[in-house]
Formats: sequence, structure tokens, C-alpha cells
Amino acid sequence: MFKSSGVLGPQDRVWADQVTALTRRRFLKAVMGGAAAGPFAGLAHRAFGKLSGFDLPDEVDVNDLDPLLQRLVNRTTFGFTPALYEEVEELGFDEFVETQLHAQGIDDALSDAMISGYDTLTMTSDEIYTVYEEDDGVPIRQLVEATILRSVFSKRQLQERMVEFWSDHFNIDILDGLVPFLKTADDRDVIRTHALSTFPQLLNASAHSAAMLFYLDNYANSVGHAQENYARELMELHTLGVDGPYTQQDVEEVSRCLTGWTIANRDNPLGFGSFVFYPPYHDTGSKTVLGQFIPAGGGESDGQTVLDILAYHPSTAAFIAGKLCKRFCAYDPPQQLIDDVRDTYLATGGDIKSMLRVILTPNVLHSMATPKFKRPFHLMASLLRASNASIQNPRLLLEMLFIMGHAPFFWPRPDGYPDDLSAWATSLLPRWQFVSYLFDGVFPGVSVDVDSLIESRGLGQGYEVSAIDQVLGQPFTTVEVDLLNDFVAELPAQYAAKFQDALGVATTMPGFQWY
Amino acid sequence: MPLEATEYRGCTEFQNWSRSRLLRRIRRRSSSSVALTSVPQVSLTDSETNRDVLLVVLLRGGMDGLTTVVPYGDPNLYSPTLRPDLAVPPPGDPDGAIDLDGFFGLAPAMAPLLPAYASGQLAVVHATGSPDPTRSHFDAFSYLEYGIPLQPLDVYSGWLARHLQIVPPTGNGLLRAAAISGQVPKTLADAPATLPIADPSSFAFPGSPVTSSLRQAVIEAAHEFTIEPLASAAKGTIDTIAILQGIDFLNYAPSGGATYPGSAFGEAVKSVAAMVKADIGLEAATVELGSWDTHNQQGVQAGDMANLMADLSTTLAALHIDMQDRMDRFAVVVMSEFGRRADQNGSQGTDHGHGNCMLVMGGHIAGGQVIADWNSGELLHPDLLYQGDSLQVTIDYRDIIAEIVQNRLDNADLATVFPNYTPTFRGITN
Repeated sequence: MFKSSGVLGPQDRVWADQVTALTRRRFLKAVMGGAAAGPFAGLAHRAFGKLSGFDLPDEVDVNDLDPLLQRLVNRTTFGFTPALYEEVEELGFDEFVETQLHAQGIDDALSDAMISGYDTLTMTSDEIYTVYEEDDGVPIRQLVEATILRSVFSKRQLQERMVEFWSDHFNIDILDGLVPFLKTADDRDVIRTHALSTFPQLLNASAHSAAMLFYLDNYANSVGHAQENYARELMELHTLGVDGPYTQQDVEEVSRCLTGWTIANRDNPLGFGSFVFYPPYHDTGSKTVLGQFIPAGGGESDGQTVLDILAYHPSTAAFIAGKLCKRFCAYDPPQQLIDDVRDTYLATGGDIKSMLRVILTPNVLHSMATPKFKRPFHLMASLLRASNASIQNPRLLLEMLFIMGHAPFFWPRPDGYPDDLSAWATSLLPRWQFVSYLFDGVFPGVSVDVDSLIESRGLGQGYEVSAIDQVLGQPFTTVEVDLLNDFVAELPAQYAAKFQDALGVATTMPGFQWY
Repeated sequence: MPLEATEYRGCTEFQNWSRSRLLRRIRRRSSSSVALTSVPQVSLTDSETNRDVLLVVLLRGGMDGLTTVVPYGDPNLYSPTLRPDLAVPPPGDPDGAIDLDGFFGLAPAMAPLLPAYASGQLAVVHATGSPDPTRSHFDAFSYLEYGIPLQPLDVYSGWLARHLQIVPPTGNGLLRAAAISGQVPKTLADAPATLPIADPSSFAFPGSPVTSSLRQAVIEAAHEFTIEPLASAAKGTIDTIAILQGIDFLNYAPSGGATYPGSAFGEAVKSVAAMVKADIGLEAATVELGSWDTHNQQGVQAGDMANLMADLSTTLAALHIDMQDRMDRFAVVVMSEFGRRADQNGSQGTDHGHGNCMLVMGGHIAGGQVIADWNSGELLHPDLLYQGDSLQVTIDYRDIIAEIVQNRLDNADLATVFPNYTPTFRGITN
């Protein structure tokens, strides 16, 4: 099955496609169920045992929320909870940001408990392949479900937002070839490990990641067999940006530098999925990248030299700065802010914490930030958080993310899920369906206890719809509140699901779609 | 304080919007739920228009047009230095191409398209595409779909969107274009009354039927006060729910015994056919088929690309049969962001290139021919390759589309559809 060289090579794509030929169809069929059998029919309920949601704090009066702190919560997390807001209020703006930036110092026992049943999260790629060769849907489902649960329950919320950001930036299609066995390690050892460290370290880890080497075909990039897929995207999407100062010649030279960077196969004592530099594949000649001469005979260091050139290039600093500002400040951030973040990148060697400190200031969030439309994953996480949902089985949440077009790691192209208003703001019905299904209790394994939600927010049974913002922690306009009151007034008197419907309508309104 | 949420959610004038007026509107909307769910069909015979419904198929990843439609008559194709392992052999050889015109042939996996070609309703355009030199997938699609190759990327509406902006609706105007995908592609960016509909068969309003119309009315009213494109999308979504409710997608029976493949692409194209035949006033649709980025183990005869070609060709062949009774006012354009390099790379694949082929189908498409300017049959000669490695673009894709826009979509304002470009018609319509 494997070549005796111990590494994957150009010819292994055929084998990889055979191994996982059915992955896409099998997985999608398993996840999506039989179309004719109704939206959620045929999906086995897998018991996780009931896990509680948040510890509910004392009453938080949403009407008294400090708008700046509320903005801070919205920008750095997957959404408001009363407990989180209370923590922010207690720590203050700067201290909260510092705490979140040092994510490892935050106790995350609840989230860890939620995902402790997922055995693949701690496995090597070799172990995953050994155990799940015939059932590659398992590592995929576990990774995506863990991502959902972490976004909802982790206290390291900024870390989760950065994981999302870098997963987009270094996008890898989890259904591609051998990636089902490899993405778990990429998520753990590349994205999560370096989400808040430095960009050069993150880039370096990504370039050595088997999932990336496979997805962008560099494992098949060898002397006399050069191919430029990874080299091009490395410059266009990962570092310099499409307007960066590189030419077709640079693409070809970078691909030559990276020949021989491949993946251990199962005959290799390093274990399947390990990075291997394989000298017989390497193009030993001299190269010139972005005007810099790289002498012949550099071997593995050729690729390292390329990564260093790219990681510390001013265009990379500007490109990363622009994307960070767009994600955390505004769709169209002020150029001055981008320049400041770029300068911080250059001054700190691409330190991610330092760049975020420039963006996450009271002044920026107060004066420069403009609302961003929640992408479907964000909508889901924020609604599960705001409604204090209890999740025993997230399986159907994954299905819903498919319907909304935003399942983590399922974007097929290397540019990652878009971060644009126009990309998401026209696809509304799947969002409405999700919201409605949640409050109607359609998802087995996911439930919202509307009565205790009302009670926990200090509203008691005599609640008014006008206090809906108090329940959801997000301010609604007076028009929206008026409409909600009118809606409830129009409902039939004996209608039982009054507040379920009101919550569903409220979280479908524009007020809940922005952050 | 600039942090007021209301600031972003609508003009302050709406904060004073009369509540009783809102309530009246909700009641009216909600009590008219019967009318809502029975949107009148737009009969073609009642319509003043003779415009085609246009389906645009976007092949994402850079389809290798030298494989799908093989220029087997160009001797350079079989040069040992070009693509010795990938070139489809000439007709008559084992695994050879299926001849179209004595010079070009279809790859074996494209054979299902032969009847459509023979019927005179399917044309191939070759050595075509966007003249922009970029080899970035994403930039190439931006130039192609916004319709602005070789121009600054500062136009953010699609060429098809600009066409729809110019012409009046052919029907009720509630759903003028549909993208059968999770998001609206750039081709339709900023198009009026246009939605992404990933699965038309499940485009239904959720929740209790008791409160369904009331909830829709409140949601629609709430979105009147937000920004675009959210505001229009909410209204369009509610309109479209009612429109699509009248179509039984799951039991749709194609005409003429046509059988679409069960692939996602086949299902998407089939749903477009169902929408067109339901006469809902749809004027355009887009469907996407990805994974053409065959850098590695391309699989021309069997494998990745062969599977994609089979999916593409069997779907289009089914569409051709299914739409015979509508072909008089139906057209399909199939294109990709760029072709692939003429020479194969080291891993039995091809890297990003330039010129490509397009497929065009319709009742008034001058089919049964391959439109190409192949430079005396030697466009693959090493001296003629674009940047030394790729097929040239000798026919700008805008020439083909502009002719369709003017002659089949009844829109002569080509300067708006394709700014700063004067197209040359190539005889793609009849």
C-alpha cells in the first residue's frame, strides 16, 4: 500500500482517494440523514449524560449594561451570558482582555468535561488512522462537535474566537482525501497551540502540518515533479496577500524550495502523519525568492528560509493586520488602525497578543468598531449561550450548521469562510429555521428551559415581553420591542408556546443578528 | 454615545414609527396569509417578454478545458513534453476522444453531451475565458463574475446582477434570480430580488402553523428598519417561501424520460428546471460545481476529473432532455475561472493556466459547432502558448455572454453589463 520510502509521494493521491473515496458521500449521508425521511429522522440519539449549562449568577439588569463592556463581550466572545458580563464588570476592560489573552491561565473544567468523551481529540494522526480507518466520520464529527461545545462552554472565549479566525485563515477542507485523519492534529497542535502566540510560529507549524501538506498537495511536490499549489496559496492566502509583491516566477521558486516537505506514511517509524523532509524528493539547485538568492544544497532549510522571508515581510504584517482588524473591529476598518497593528506586528515579530491589544482598546471599540453580522456558527453559539441551552448531544447542531452553510472545517476552498456582510446577510431562512427549531425543542439532545430562563433572569412569571433584552442580553430597538409586544398581544389567548414563539421571533429580529 | 445599538439598525426616524400603524400592517399581512401562500403564476403567454431564462454554471477550481473538449487536431497536444500522461488520445484510439467536428472531441467522460451537441443546441467555445492574467482562483473569479477583467477590482456587482438591474422583471419580480448554493456568487452580487437557496425543496418557514403567518409578518416588519442587504433579503425570503411552497420538488418528474444523477449538482440543476417550469417569474439562476483544481493525479480517464466530468455531462444531458419543451426560452452557460497549464506537472496533474473552453446550450444557441480561433490548428505550438505555458484566450468570454445578453435577454445596454469593453459577437445565438 505504501511505498517503502516511508513517505507519501505524488502517486499516493490515487491511494488516498481510494481509502476515502466514500468519505464525502458516506459522511454527508450519515450527517444529513435520508432526505425523504424528514429533516431529523433516522439519527440515533447518542446519550452523553446530562451536563449542566452555566452557573447562573445573580440577576443582571440588561438595561443597566455598560455599552462599552457589552461591546467588549460581543467582540471577544461567542456571545453574552450573565455570568460572563458580571466577570467583565468585575475585572474591568483592560484586565478582562489580559485575562483572555493568557487563555491557558483560565480554568476551563466545564468545557473540558463536555468534550472529554471525544477520544480522537488527544490521539495522534497515526492512532486515529489505526482506530478509525473504516469509520473516518468519527474523527470528523468529534472535532466539529467539540468545536461547537467549546464555543459555547469554554471560558477561554477569545482563544476560541482566534481559533475560528486562524481556522479560516489556514483553511483545510476536512473531507479532502486523508484529511479526516489529519485535521484533528492540525487543530490541536497548529491552530490551538499557536492561536495566541506569534504568527511566524503559527505559520511554521502550519507549513509542517500533515493536514496542510496533504490538502494543498505539497506532499506530492518533488524534484522533477514540482507543483505549485501550496506555494501559491502560501503567499496569496497565508502571508503576503494576493496584492503582495510576488510573481509567477516566485511561485515556482517557492515550490522548488518546498520540494521534499512531505508526510510520513505508516511504514515510517515516526508514525503516519508526521512531518518528514525526504531528501530524494528535494530540488537541490539554487533558487531566488522575492529577490533573495538561496544557494544550492540548502536541503530542508530552503523551505525554512522561505517561511522566514514570508513571515517577516512587511506585506505579511499588513495583510494579517488588515484581516485581524476586519474580524475584530469593522468590515471596513480605519487604515490608521491597520497601520498601527502592522507596525506592532513588525516591532514584536508578529506577536498575536500584542496585535490584539492594539485593537481591543476602549477607544477602538468605542469609536471605530461598527457592527458585524453574526456568521451562522456565531449565531448558533451566541443563541445557545444567551438561552442557557443544555446540550446532551450536539449532533443535530452539526446538521444545522450544514443547512446554514457554516460547518467548521467544511469550506472546500483554501480561502476559508468569508467574513463579509454580503456573503451571509442574504441567506436568512436557515437561520430562522435554526432559531425556531431550538425553541420548539426539535433537536433531541439540545434543550432550552424557557421557564427557568425567564426566572433566572429575575423576571418571574409575570414577565413582560418588553424585558426580552433582559433575557437575551442584547439590546433591541424600541420598534423591535413594540413589534414583540404586538405579536404576543395578537396570539390566541390559549396558545401555550407564547414565550417560546416570542423568543424565536426576538432572536430572528435584526437586533440579535449583529455583534 | 456612539455605542447605541440602534444607531446601526436603522434610521432614528423609525424609532418614532407609529405603533398602531405597525400593528395594522401586521394584522393585514397576517390575515392575508391565504393570498401569501398562493402567489399567482406568471404564464409565459401572458408575458410581454421573449427573454430566455439563463442558467450560469460555475466550475470552481480551474477546469482543464484541454481535457473536457480535446483539440486532438493540434499535433502539439501530443508532443512528449506537453502532457504525455494526460492528453486524451484522438478518436479511434483506445480511450480516445469522441469527435465533434474533425478537430475537437469530447473526453470520454463527457460523451453524454454528444446528443445535445448533435441536436444543434449545444455549442463549445474554445480558447476563451477572461483575459486577465491572474492565476489566483479568487481574483480570477472576481474578474470573471464581476465582469471586469483587466480593470481595478472596485466594482462589486456581478455582470448578471447589472443585467437584472437594467431590465424590468419578466414576472412578478419577487424572485428574479436564485443561487442554488449557500451564498450568492459574485455573478449575482447586488442583484435585485435574488436569494441563495441551497435546497429549494426545504425552503419552508419553521415552527407552529398556528402562528406561522403572524410570525412572518412581525419578522418582515422588523426587517424594514435594518440595513441592506438584510432588509431586502428578509422580505425576499418571506416572498420566496410562499412562491416555492407551490412547487413539489421531491416529486418533480422531468420530461422526456430525463434522469438527473443523484449528485448534489444534479439535484441543484434539476431544481432549477422545476422552478423554470413552475413559471414563478425566475429570470436567472446559478449553480456551482467545485473541485476542478486538479494539481495532483488529475484522473482524466478515471479518477477525480473523470468523475467531475461525468457529473457535469450527465446532468447537462438530462437538463437538455428535460427542458426540450422550454428550450425556446432557456439558455445555459458553463464556465470556469481559468484553464490549466498546457503542460502537465510532476504529479500527474496540471497547475493554474489561462485559456479554457465554455459550454453554451439553448434553443437559440448556434449549437453543433466549436467556435474557436485556433491559429491554423496550432494554438498549442510552444511559441503561441500564453506566457509560454498555457492556452491563449483568443475569444473574450464577454463576447459570448454579451451576445446572449443582447439577443436572448433583450438587453442592449452592454456597456453597463460589461463596462469599458466593446464586445465582438461570435455568432453564438441564432
